[in-house]
Formats: sequence, C-alpha cells, structure tokens
Amino acid sequence: MRAFLPRCLAALAVTGALLGAADTASAARGLADYRYFRALTIDLAGRMPTRAEVAAFEADGFDLDGYIDQQLAGPAYAERVRRIYMDLLRLDVGPTFQIVPPQTTLRREQIQGPNGKPLGIYYRKGQRRARIETDGDFCMTQDETGLQFPPNTAPTGAPKSVSQEALDAATVVVKPWWLYRDYGSAAPTDRYDAATWATRLPGFTPVVGLTMELDGTTPTVEIRICKEEAQQAPSGTIFAPKRPAPVKGAPPPYGRLAQLPQDSAYATAHAGEAIACTMGSSLGMAADCGCGVGLERCMPGDGPGFDPRAFSFPTASPLGDAAPLDDSPQAQSAWLRYFWGQEAIHFLDNVFAQDRDFRDVLTARDTWVNGPLTQFYKSVAPAACCGDGLTLGYTKEQPLLEPSTLPALLPHDVMRWEHVADRGPQASGIFTMPVFLTKYGTRRARAHVAYSTFLCRDFISGNVQLRPSTEPNLMIREGCSTCHATLEPLAAYFTRITESGWTFLPASTFPASSTTCKADASGNLPGRCKTYYDPAFADATHAMLRGAYGSTDHAEAGPRGIADAFTAAPEFAPCVAENIASALLARPLTTDDAALRTALTQTLTDGGYKLRALVRALVKSDAYKATNDVVAHASRDGGAP
Amino acid sequence: MKKVRGHGYVRASLLAVALFGAALSSACGKDKPAAPAETPIAPVPVSQIPGHEQIGEDTALKESPRLVPQEAYMRTYLQLFGGLAPADVQKRIKLGSATLFDTWNDYLSALGLPDYRLDLPRAAQTSSLMLATFERLGVALCDKAVERDLRAGAGAAANRPVFAFDLPSVEPDLAAFTTRFDSLHRTFLGYPAALAGTSRTARFYTLYTNAVAAHAAPGAAKSAFTASEAGWASVCYGLVRHPEFHLY
Repeated sequence: MRAFLPRCLAALAVTGALLGAADTASAARGLADYRYFRALTIDLAGRMPTRAEVAAFEADGFDLDGYIDQQLAGPAYAERVRRIYMDLLRLDVGPTFQIVPPQTTLRREQIQGPNGKPLGIYYRKGQRRARIETDGDFCMTQDETGLQFPPNTAPTGAPKSVSQEALDAATVVVKPWWLYRDYGSAAPTDRYDAATWATRLPGFTPVVGLTMELDGTTPTVEIRICKEEAQQAPSGTIFAPKRPAPVKGAPPPYGRLAQLPQDSAYATAHAGEAIACTMGSSLGMAADCGCGVGLERCMPGDGPGFDPRAFSFPTASPLGDAAPLDDSPQAQSAWLRYFWGQEAIHFLDNVFAQDRDFRDVLTARDTWVNGPLTQFYKSVAPAACCGDGLTLGYTKEQPLLEPSTLPALLPHDVMRWEHVADRGPQASGIFTMPVFLTKYGTRRARAHVAYSTFLCRDFISGNVQLRPSTEPNLMIREGCSTCHATLEPLAAYFTRITESGWTFLPASTFPASSTTCKADASGNLPGRCKTYYDPAFADATHAMLRGAYGSTDHAEAGPRGIADAFTAAPEFAPCVAENIASALLARPLTTDDAALRTALTQTLTDGGYKLRALVRALVKSDAYKATNDVVAHASRDGGAP
Repeated sequence: MKKVRGHGYVRASLLAVALFGAALSSACGKDKPAAPAETPIAPVPVSQIPGHEQIGEDTALKESPRLVPQEAYMRTYLQLFGGLAPADVQKRIKLGSATLFDTWNDYLSALGLPDYRLDLPRAAQTSSLMLATFERLGVALCDKAVERDLRAGAGAAANRPVFAFDLPSVEPDLAAFTTRFDSLHRTFLGYPAALAGTSRTARFYTLYTNAVAAHAAPGAAKSAFTASEAGWASVCYGLVRHPEFHLY
C-alpha cells in the first residue's frame, strides 16, 4: 500500500498534466505518459512507436492533441475501427460455401490430340449442344477420344488420338481473358507474362496449369474449347430439341455416362424465345449461349475437378491486400470468395477513413469494386438467377448491384479499386453485399448477426419446456416464441433475397401473398412455387412467400427496412459506443462504465454519428488512460528481468 | 477513488450466505428452546476491527494490460525488420537458416489472429502456444538484426531498426552498456530504461556479461556470433519476449 499510493498520486499528477494545458506537455515525462503514448500509437497508428516518435514525444511542446488528430486522419485508424466490426461480423466466407455455378465454371478434360500428345479441352458441364451425342456433356464422344468423362474426375478408358477433323468440328481455338489483357480485341497480343504483369497488374497470377501446356514447359498462347462455350452473343434462343426420353434400365447412348438431357416444361413452352446468356438458366436451355468475348463470362479451372484451381493469391492478408503473407494456388471459387471479403473491407475502410456517418455501414448504396468483383457482378452473379423463378415469370433479373453502374475494370485489375456511387435501389450497406448474404445464408442468421452487432442485443431462450408441436408459426409456438417473436419479424426483412444467394425477388413477380401459388385440395403447392412459397403458410386462397410470415411489411421494406429500423432504434448509438469502447479497452463495459457509455453516445450523436469524435473522446478518457495501470504495475515491478 | 470491480458481487455473496445461514438456523432451531435476545452488533468501519487498523481498502479500478493487437504486433515486427514486406521478411529470415522461421501462415492462429472464414475469434489473452510463437519470432528478429545492424556496412547507427549503436571496441562497462540498453529499451518498450522502476538495466547487464562469458568460455558451442554479438542478441531476446512488448 505504501508503495502503491505514491505511484497512484504520481499517475494522477501525470494524468492531470496531460489533461491540462491543452496536452502540450513539458519534457518531464513519467512512465504513465510513455505508456499512454505507446497505447495511442498502437491503437491509432497500428504499430508500436519508433525511437524517433518517442524522442519527438519527449521534446518540449509536443502537441499530444495534435498527434491524436493526426493519427485519427490516417488509414491505420480506419483499419483499427474496421477490425472492430470485422471481428463482430467475421465477413469472410469459408470453403464450405463453394460458388461453382455450372454456367460460369470452365473445366478442362485431357484427351490425346491428333499428334498423339496430351491436349486440354475446356468445357462447361451441362452445356446444351445441337449434336445429340454430346448434348449436355463434354463435346467429344467416346468413339472419337477412346474416353468417357465422369463428372469431377479424370477421364477413364484407353485414350486414342482424335482426328483433326473431329477436333475442329467440336472445338475452336480462343485467346481467353486469363491469358490476354486485350482479350476484347480482334487479335489479342498482350499475353500474360509473370515477370512484367507482377508490376503492371499486381495480384493477378493464373496457376501454372492455365499458363503452360500440359507438357509443363510450353507456354500456352491459346486454348481449345468446345465451340458452343466459345460463343459470344449476349442472348440466345431457348432450345427444346425433344430428345428421346431414356428407356428405363437402358444405358446412356453414344458411350455417354449420363442420359441425354430432357427439355424442361418451360423450355418446351417457350422454345425459340430469347434468353439472356448471363442467366443461369441459359446453360440448360440454349445451345447458342457461350462464355462471351474472350470467355469473360466464365471462370477457368486447370482440371476436370468440381472446383478446379485457377489463380494464386493470398490465403490470408491480415495486413491488407497490399501486404500479402503468401501466394498459393487456389480453387476458382476461392478467388471470388476472397474478393467478396475484400469488398466489405474496402467499403468499411472508406466509411471510417472519410469519417462518414456510421449509419452508412447499414444504409449506404455505394461500394468499392476491383477487376475480379466487376467481372463477378457482370457475369457470375446473374448466373444465380433465376431457376424455378422462370416459371413464375422472373425472366429478367433485378440485381442488388446494377451492372451498368460498374467501372470499366478488367478481371486483371486486382489491386485497382474504384468507387461505385450507387449500387441500385435495393442496396443497403453491408446487408446486400455477397459476403454478408453468403456468410449468413439464412434470413434468420442475417437478422441475428445484425441484431447482435448493431443493437448489442441477443436472443436468450426462456426457461420454458419444449413440447412437440405442429405449430409452424414460431412466433407463437411454445418454447420458441421467446426468441422468435422478435427474430421472425427481423428475418422477414431479408425475405426478398434468396437464402445462400444474392438473387433479389421483386414484389411484381413474387408477391408476399400469392394467389397463383395457392394450395390445392390436398394442401400441396404447385411444384414451381415450392422454392419460393411456404406450404406451411398456404391455404386454398393464397400462399405466403417464404420468410414473409413474420411481417409482410418488413418483407416489403427489405434490407433497407432493417437498416432504417436499427439506425433509428434507441439502442443503436449506445451499441456503437459500446462496441468501440469495449474493443479499445479490451474488456466489456459494465454498469461501472455507465457514465463513459453515456458520454460517448452523446459525442457520437452530437457529432452526426462520425466515429472520429467518439474515438478521440475515448482515447482521452480516464478509462482508456488507466486501462493498463494497476495490475501492470504489480506485474512489472515484481517480475524480472 | 473508484469502486473495486466486483465489490457488488462480494456483497451479494455475503448476503446470500447470511440468508442461507438464517434459513438454516430457522429450520434447525424449531425444536430448541428459544435463545435469549441478543444485543445487535452495530456496524463499524473495517479499520476499527482489531487487527485491521493498518489495512486499507484498495478501491482503485483494476484492469489487466491489453494484448497488443496482432496486426500491430506484425507491423511492428516488420518495422523492426527495416520496413520489409511480410513475404520479404520470410525470405530474409529463411535465407541461410531454414529452421529459424517457418511461414507466416504457420504463425497466424498461434498469434491469435482471427480467421473469419472459419469463425475463429481473435485471441484477447496470451496462451502457451502464443508465448512460444512470440519467442520463435523474436529470436529470428534478433538474430537477423545482429547480422544486419552490428556488422560492417550496417549504415548510420541512428537509422538501424534495432541496434542503433556500434559495438564498443572493448566489452562495455555498466555505463557504456546503459546507453546502448536504453536505446534498445526505447526501441522495444517505448520508454527510457531508467523509468522501469527496478534494477532492470543492471539485471540486463548481468545477462549480457553472462552471455558473453559463456560464449567466450573454452569449449563453448560453435556459433555464428562473436561473444559481443551473442551478448547483444541475448539482450534483444529479453526485450522482444518481455511482457511489456506484447501488452499495453
């Protein structure tokens, strides 16, 4: 105690000196001063202070307030705050979510070329072809190659050299986007060069399997691809050739491993009509839809696997994409997942670096994209649409990000990020970004993480006994209602975005209450409706859109509705203050911190929800200055060396 | 003075014990004859209880030091490596010493970095594995810093990331050591060694001289370092592994 009190008094004196005289301190620095300066530098500059910075701090007239303001204007501050919310939201999608749409995934089969050497042929699984022998499958037959082509693995059989005539009939040669910067020109010449592209177009590194021939030594200057996949038209025509139905028990014809594809009822009914080649449905309905100019609508893979490798890029980049820790060959789906996470990072960094209204995190319609994301939004994202929605009339997607708003970036522009000022009317902060919608695949998961992150509240089940129940309404089912009475209406805000996806379901095509999809006498919905409408909330007059039963008003309001509701909630501003303070103090706030929480909340709201003022107030508070105080003394002074 | 965190909890626990005791007393006492009425004991300040006259109540807020954010640790590490990129640091350390450093990716989870893909949260407290990783990274940093900063061609002393001084021509006495140690202390811990509050400089001087002696002793293991270099490397190890380096 005797030793402790003088230290406390000294610390108080020092603290008083720091708070007084506008923090322009004299050169007489105490240990607490140095520790405070070190903490400020760690939190606001993102690293420990250098010797030079310590020396500057020791100099007469050092302006601590000015130092704090200078750091608050820097990128390290923005990153520090972003990390707080990234730690809460964990916006990076793991390998369990594989985005491998058949419409945009090019795989490569290895056959024996006319010269007897191995030859790789790219193709899309499920591609409709006019040639019956290969319709919906690889474009060369067993007769021609000696091989069969099982899904997601290497061909089987005894390979034989294909004839040049058969090869030319089924395939074409293309200079694709992953090999040529100028793939859009009539005669591309600017081929990938690892040495020069590393500085010209950093971050874009195709795996060796894409840049070298199968012999491993010859650079690939053009590729062979099935001719249907090489088509460039933006739209095609619905194809319904009425292939013979397979005879039960009969093997697939023409040496195939799969039966011939059958025409869907929709294709039969709409044969000859136009269909956009970006839509996922076009793969199975049009023989004249391909991967576009330079194959830009498709992602390449270096083999026949389900999710083949495509590019080398960091598996982790905790210090930002400009400071990668490694460069590893990864699956083509990982390429897109990685940049989904980067989109959120760049968006949040911009909000905090520009000291924008924090509510923009939930409500803003802008975002940031690079080349791969531009390609994703233009070509890959639409492929998720529309499945069964076609049969309900959803033939033209209403995207969460309007492709027309995208900058003119090419897929190689990995490190070039550009601002998209307005994604479109459905956009709402992070809530409509692919990383959020796939990380939290269900409506309830999305609502839950938003509730806990932005209102600092959670769902705690009541002490009630769960009993078997057939009640589909969780808002009233005993044992469930304590949480779901709140959760279901919140989840309803995400009704109009498909689960584990980003396809928007417009009210014009998918009314919250549909009479078209009403149940029959047996209580069953029409088959085409089941994906979107909930049989548990259907009767002879109507069916409810899945997820909408919690609140049709919320369903219509969409993600912007939950953003508006949350930012207007009384818990919102205190929750922001709590999240920031508990992260920088490295402990949860308690009732002892009520005054601090109130003061920070007031600072936030008075300052127009700009975080810089809040963080400035926090790092100048006694709570922050004392954070490493007493126990640290005991540990340091008692320990050795 | 502020309240002791947890004071309310202690009070509630005491109340619960008292209530339990009262209930027990009530339940067990039914068959006993009624006790004579007791004189209530008036509450007194703790200092008036015999034997407690000199025991003060520490009502200061108790806070543990925080773990330096993993990203700040890594940035500082890179800074001490002369501002190299992470991949370049990895290459530099592995150059000539394949076992000194594995890969950054091998250390990320041990350092406590979150992995959002796998929903692994950020570590807010140290662990044995984390301390071992700090040690491994620290040793690699110091060994390379000795090679870079204390040998010919190191450049101006003030610009050297770690050892901003030259080796003295003779083994330093405590005064010569103190100046150099203070520079290292500021580099790693951010404040003058004199403020450490204990005989830290003297203890590190002992560490230095012991390392030099052990290195120069007959039959000592062969080393890439001279005795002086080994001494300064040991001091560097001590600071880069110091709790104050990892906490704030």
